[in-house]
Amino acid sequence: MRLVGLLNRDKSGMRHISGTMVSESVRTESKESSTTALTVSNLSKIYDSTAGRVIALDKINFSVKKGEFVSIVGPSGSGKSTLLNMIGALDRPTMGNVYINGIDIFSLDDSMIATMRNNLIGFIFQSFNLINRTTVLKNVKLPGTISGMSTGKSHERAMKILEALGIGDKANQKPVNLSGGQQQRVAIARALVNNPTIVLADEPTGNLDTKTGEDVFDMLKTLSHKYRRTIIMVTHNPELAESTDRSISIRDGRIEKDVTN
Amino acid sequence: MNPSDIFSLAYDALVDRKVRTVLTVMMVVLGASLVVVIDGLSAGQAAFLAQQLDSLATNIMYISSGQHSYHGDASSSASLIINSAVVNKIRGLPDVTDVVPEYSGGVTIDSYGNIQHVSVTGMDPTKITDMLPNVQYVEGSTLPAASDRTAVVVGDSIANPPGSTTPFVTVGQTLTLTYTYADSSGKQEQEQRSFIVDAVMKPSGNQRIDNGLIINTDAANQLLHKSGRYDSLMVQTTDDTAISAVQQELTNLYGKSMGIMVPAAFIAVRQQTAEGNAMFVEMIGLIALIVGAVGIVTTLYNSVNERVREIGTMKAIGAQNSSIMALFLVEAAMIGILGASTGLGIGVLGGYAMTSFPSQPAGHGGPGGFGPATQSISSFPPIFLPLDLAKVWLLSVALALMAGIFPAWKASRLSPMVALRRE
Ligand SMILES: Nc1ncnc2c1ncn2[C@@H]1O[C@H](COP(=O)(O)OP(=O)(O)OP(=O)(O)O)[C@@H](O)[C@H]1O
Ligand SMILES: [Mg+2]
Repeated sequence: MRLVGLLNRDKSGMRHISGTMVSESVRTESKESSTTALTVSNLSKIYDSTAGRVIALDKINFSVKKGEFVSIVGPSGSGKSTLLNMIGALDRPTMGNVYINGIDIFSLDDSMIATMRNNLIGFIFQSFNLINRTTVLKNVKLPGTISGMSTGKSHERAMKILEALGIGDKANQKPVNLSGGQQQRVAIARALVNNPTIVLADEPTGNLDTKTGEDVFDMLKTLSHKYRRTIIMVTHNPELAESTDRSISIRDGRIEKDVTN
Repeated sequence: MNPSDIFSLAYDALVDRKVRTVLTVMMVVLGASLVVVIDGLSAGQAAFLAQQLDSLATNIMYISSGQHSYHGDASSSASLIINSAVVNKIRGLPDVTDVVPEYSGGVTIDSYGNIQHVSVTGMDPTKITDMLPNVQYVEGSTLPAASDRTAVVVGDSIANPPGSTTPFVTVGQTLTLTYTYADSSGKQEQEQRSFIVDAVMKPSGNQRIDNGLIINTDAANQLLHKSGRYDSLMVQTTDDTAISAVQQELTNLYGKSMGIMVPAAFIAVRQQTAEGNAMFVEMIGLIALIVGAVGIVTTLYNSVNERVREIGTMKAIGAQNSSIMALFLVEAAMIGILGASTGLGIGVLGGYAMTSFPSQPAGHGGPGGFGPATQSISSFPPIFLPLDLAKVWLLSVALALMAGIFPAWKASRLSPMVALRRE
């Protein structure tokens, strides 16, 4: 299928954080880690505020294989978003490490972390977070633009992905004129444009009705199974969670259950 | 991020908030155009005064009866009657090389049916160069002899009235001067005399000369009914260093009954005043520019606050702090460049517009009066030097960029976590 070809072919086009850093980390990679996309090790996050001390994450440990579709579930306030934000390096943990492709991401400085996010991670937000004043196409191209990809190349990639997601005809519209489901597909396209190692989605169906939510979920599932993208998705929907490869349940900042479906 | 991408994103953001962008640009326009206008006008005035100063002899001074004193307390003391006895006495003072008595008054002239009201000076025409060493005459002119009672020398502004394409007076023609006065019973009377235009002066840079006529001393005495009372004396000293000594001597002799004016010193003082005024007004222009810069700070700061989520999202998908910083600095620079360029254009046009309606030159400056004491800055054609314009442009853009620093820095420091904030 088109999307397979696209994602495989573009491996060569992926821009790495830094040649030396990546090759060093590749050299130290073990045999096992070559199939591991992500390792979370003793990860803790404590919020200290005047209101008190919150242990949002308490020594979390797990690994995710390449191509795995993992759902994270748990009651409100259990620490799901905090965990996802740490994996995506949006925030630094209090303790512990996160390895993506064998790279200890928190050993990097802020500038390298930004580059890492740009190259290795695709974010999908609950409320889409599109820039509404500009076109769908410019939104999708943005991660390519940030990475310094040529306009021609980011345009080509963005259009291919938009077409694969069935919204190629919306490329020149403003996101506000699209339905919620279409907007989330634009966000998915944006998350894929730099061909990331891991796609992180925090309640991607949370702002969508059941039917549209299922469509978007199916899209992620196809991405994972047919195109072997690694996806970690936070959801409140137990049915969707059961349809993923693996569900990790969090409660009070700890892993309560880790089931392979 | 490529610079062109940053420019395109910045442009989109500015266009998205059109009204606010335009208002902010206008603040910069206001400041920049104000500074440009003031620079242009004061450069024009400075050039004018410098030219006037240049054309003046430095070793002359004017004496007038107290009535016309520049000290302004005419009524308080008896005024000196300047007659030939006074002239002879002053001639005898040490360091005085010459004394030229002058009559002055206002007359109407009639040239082929056109009437103009002008000032007339009765003096020895051969002494004009004592005051204006560089004065020149148009082709065909001959400077009349001191005794020629029918000759008139015409100033440039009368011969060639500003805004008119045909000369009002030419060499060789006859000019009738009409003096209107009230006789002892209060009845209006007219005295008329005809003169032959012997010479027309080229622009001298001196308003009083350019806007006046010069006729023979005795002819003026009769025409203007002066009965031998001079209005003023031009006193020439050996050189400019002797001026103050002679001035002291005259004050000792006549006290406050006499007004003394040293044209070169007078112009020099005006020059200083003009410079001071220009600096003051320029400060106001600068303040306007700074206010414009504060406007940019406010606009961009608000913009950052409104775009927190967008900035967070950009960072979440990998934008560097430096790129976010650059994005906002480019927005500030664009406002600055647009404002400065428009402001320059408006300032230059405004400068010419303000001076294209000439204010009434003080040409009829009374007897002993010297030059355009009441002229406003906008009476002189503005001068816009490219270097000055470039400076104002750079200053405006630099201020705009500086104004962008704080909002840009704040934007770049936002955590990508703000992208996840619930609405
Ligand atoms: N910035 C913060 N400062 C202080 N406490 C925080 C902060 N962010 C999260 N927390 C706390 O950490 C805990 C975990 O929050 P988190 O947002 O990860 O929960 P969640 O599982 O995503 O919940 P939900 O399902 O409602 O999204 C909560 O107790 C929350 O109040
Ligand atoms: Mg959450």
